[in-house]
Amino acid sequence: MYLYPPETMIDFLKTVFQLPANNPFTGRSGYNTPFGNASQCNGQGVVAERYPKLTGKPKKPVPTFRSKILGFLAALLVIGPFLYAQEKEVIFQVNLSKEKLGVNERLRVEFSMNKDGDNFNPPSFKGFKVAMGPSQSVSSSWVNGVRSFSKTYSYILVPTARGQFTIGQATIDIEGNQYKTLPQTVVVTTSVDHPNAPPTATDIANESLYLVAELSKTNPYLNEAVTVVYKLYVSPEISVTDYRPLDTPAYHNFWSQEIPITEYTPQNGTYRGRPYRYVILKKVVLYPQKSGKLNLEPLSLEVSADIPTNRRDFFGLRMYTPTSKTVTAGRRTLEVKPLPEPGKPANFNGAVGNFEFSVTVSKKQLNALESLQAKIEVSGAGNLKLFQLPEPELPGALEVYEPEYEEHIKTSSLGMQGKVANTYTIVPSFKGKYPVPGSSFSYFNPETEKYVTLHSKAITIEVLKGPTASTSIPPLGTTANQPPVIPQVKPFYFIKLTPNLKGIGTTYFLGSLPFYAVLFTLLALPFGIIFAFKKQAALAGDRVSRKIQRANRRAKKYLATAKKQLGDKDAFYIAMEKGLHNYLKAKLNLETSEFSKEKITKILQEKQVEKAAIQDFTALLNNCEIARYSPFSNVQMQNDYEKARTVISNVDKQL
Amino acid sequence: MKAQKWVVLLLFSPFVFGFSQDNTTLFTQATAYYNQGNYTKAIANYEQILQNGEHSAALYYNLGNCYYKRNATGPAIYYYEKALRLAPNDKEILNNLHYARNMRLDAIEPLPQTRLIQRYHTIVYFFSFDQWAYIALTWIFLGILTYLIYFFLRRTRQKRAAFLVSIFCLMLAAGSMVIAYIQYQDVTNENTAIIFSPEVHVFSEPNSRSEALFTLHEGTKASVLNQWKNWSKIQLANGQTGWLISNNIRLLNDF
Repeated sequence: MYLYPPETMIDFLKTVFQLPANNPFTGRSGYNTPFGNASQCNGQGVVAERYPKLTGKPKKPVPTFRSKILGFLAALLVIGPFLYAQEKEVIFQVNLSKEKLGVNERLRVEFSMNKDGDNFNPPSFKGFKVAMGPSQSVSSSWVNGVRSFSKTYSYILVPTARGQFTIGQATIDIEGNQYKTLPQTVVVTTSVDHPNAPPTATDIANESLYLVAELSKTNPYLNEAVTVVYKLYVSPEISVTDYRPLDTPAYHNFWSQEIPITEYTPQNGTYRGRPYRYVILKKVVLYPQKSGKLNLEPLSLEVSADIPTNRRDFFGLRMYTPTSKTVTAGRRTLEVKPLPEPGKPANFNGAVGNFEFSVTVSKKQLNALESLQAKIEVSGAGNLKLFQLPEPELPGALEVYEPEYEEHIKTSSLGMQGKVANTYTIVPSFKGKYPVPGSSFSYFNPETEKYVTLHSKAITIEVLKGPTASTSIPPLGTTANQPPVIPQVKPFYFIKLTPNLKGIGTTYFLGSLPFYAVLFTLLALPFGIIFAFKKQAALAGDRVSRKIQRANRRAKKYLATAKKQLGDKDAFYIAMEKGLHNYLKAKLNLETSEFSKEKITKILQEKQVEKAAIQDFTALLNNCEIARYSPFSNVQMQNDYEKARTVISNVDKQL
Repeated sequence: MKAQKWVVLLLFSPFVFGFSQDNTTLFTQATAYYNQGNYTKAIANYEQILQNGEHSAALYYNLGNCYYKRNATGPAIYYYEKALRLAPNDKEILNNLHYARNMRLDAIEPLPQTRLIQRYHTIVYFFSFDQWAYIALTWIFLGILTYLIYFFLRRTRQKRAAFLVSIFCLMLAAGSMVIAYIQYQDVTNENTAIIFSPEVHVFSEPNSRSEALFTLHEGTKASVLNQWKNWSKIQLANGQTGWLISNNIRLLNDF
């Protein structure tokens, strides 16, 4: 209601509440007490009972005896009123001028009856002193042939103390029956300033204006919609001229939305058992955001009203006193229930209501670098604005942009209704297949008090044309956002046709036995070859030395006799010559007789012995011959012996 | 006549009833099923071959293709990766693996590497470690050959040339051997696994009470660092680590 300018509101309310005097809802004419109703009904009942007798009579085929008719009529004349009086119900009641009075005020108590009776017995007015009375008054009147009678006993009482007192039962005998009044309770308070004054305009206004906040639910679930309706109840006696809000309630711990009221239509209703007119001033839908006891701040209004007085103006019309009153809708408390923990789905994100869920894509087949829209929609009734839509799980290779949020929500007294949707724009970069798994959405249904999870179907997006992806580790220093270099188009290849099956098992060559075998063979090969070569060389060397040894041994052998004759000149040289000749004979298979220096030289030259060796050999033979005829010292002999040895071994080596 | 028939049958029996022949027919049958679009039957045939104890890169690649056609991201990537283990540089396998990777839900950006490390990786993984081993042996052979030549040559200049060539070959051999062993260590110690379940929660501790760090989806590659009871500690390409229940993943070197 705060949405509207106050002038229009005032005008509007004036039209609403200042209705013409003949309106059944203004003025006291329409004020029906239960008693009034009862008596009226009774009267009608009597009439209905009586008339058949009267109307039924002419139709009755009675014999026409004049005397009989006259007698009957006379009887009717006499008995008729009596019958009527007889059938009217007896009313015996008590009326108090006030139910609440100051100790310095006076109370008027009237016992009235609609039929005369005897033995009136007043109650004991405990706590009161009878200041005057009993005074009797009787009134009797005929209106339209209906007699009304009333007899009243009245008392003026003065309270003797403060407190709550009961006016007890009075009894009376009417037509032989004893009737009793109902006991009435009177509250006596402290003394008042203006004793016995008529009720002021404020008093009347206090009893005639009420602002009430009605709640659709007092213990809702968290996030369940609660509607608050503010109604202004106005007694038919007064008319409202203006009102002004004093305090707008702030709905803490609630998400609130006001439902705009386009038309303020007065409606009839009862409040505390009395008829009132009311108008709905404000409607708010609240979604509690916290569990536990939540208070609603009251709404306060200052209402100006015209209160009727007992005075009348010159033309006899009732005069009104303007007054203003502050009305407040009482502080209301909501007991908000938390959502039940057992059975709460993992993906529950606070949706309460009754929803439907769908995931749709604009196309399922497209080319790379074209775009498609994926729409995630939740529709239904509930706290649509207050939860997050589930996010779709899309393949990481797709380029997905920020979603576009749209909502179509109507808020009524039942809560929010409509749909919310997130639209994602997706641009695939590479050819291939992109399965989008189904999403799920969970909500709590407060009516069934159960969680519901809805699933969408899986969708496969096919990119028909475009480059194939190449995933490589980005080198340091390059930006990841850089678009990849478009590689050449490669299709999804067909399966391989040649099986090339092998037994399962790790058959690595590295570290296997053949590997080590080959490795060590290769490594050992050069050592082997070189060793073999070296051995060969060594063997060759041995043969030379053995030859030398053998030659030395042979020289020693042939010169052994010569060595024994060392010192004896002739014998030594003969032995040495013989030894040399023997050596040659043994070595070259020669006859001793044929020995001459020339022949020896010739043979040795034929055997390719070095010239020096040959010369040494012949020189030694010469020496042997010379020594026989010339003096030779021992030293010379020793020298020749040594020389002979070397010569033999030298020659031996070369043969 | 009858006896002749029996002889023929006996002669051919190793081929007819043999293991290898049976698997080959299963394989060709599976190819037919695949071409008809009957991927479930093709998969059953391939699985049968695996159960019979035989495998090949082609078999794993074909299994990957079947699963890709059935939109099963996890198994498709798993089998392609396995095929790559047996044939590391097969173009077709790499191509189809990229197609399968497109279906993954997780976009995990690998940690950037320096150019030096990248070059090192390209060199080390240029050949498989077995190939590196063969190369090393070849170099050793050449080195030894030239050494022997050096040994038997008499002339100084020729000897020097042969010796230098020999040393060069042996150094190359040593290098290849080192690379082969590095790669061998990498491959045997590597515990790469592929996530098989559609969705897995990764926790900070090996129990489900602990904080759920992140969620992974099928097809994502992770290396297993540790195992404790039925939980595995994994590391992603972007360096994140966490624990998950082991039956959600399948190890690649589990032949």
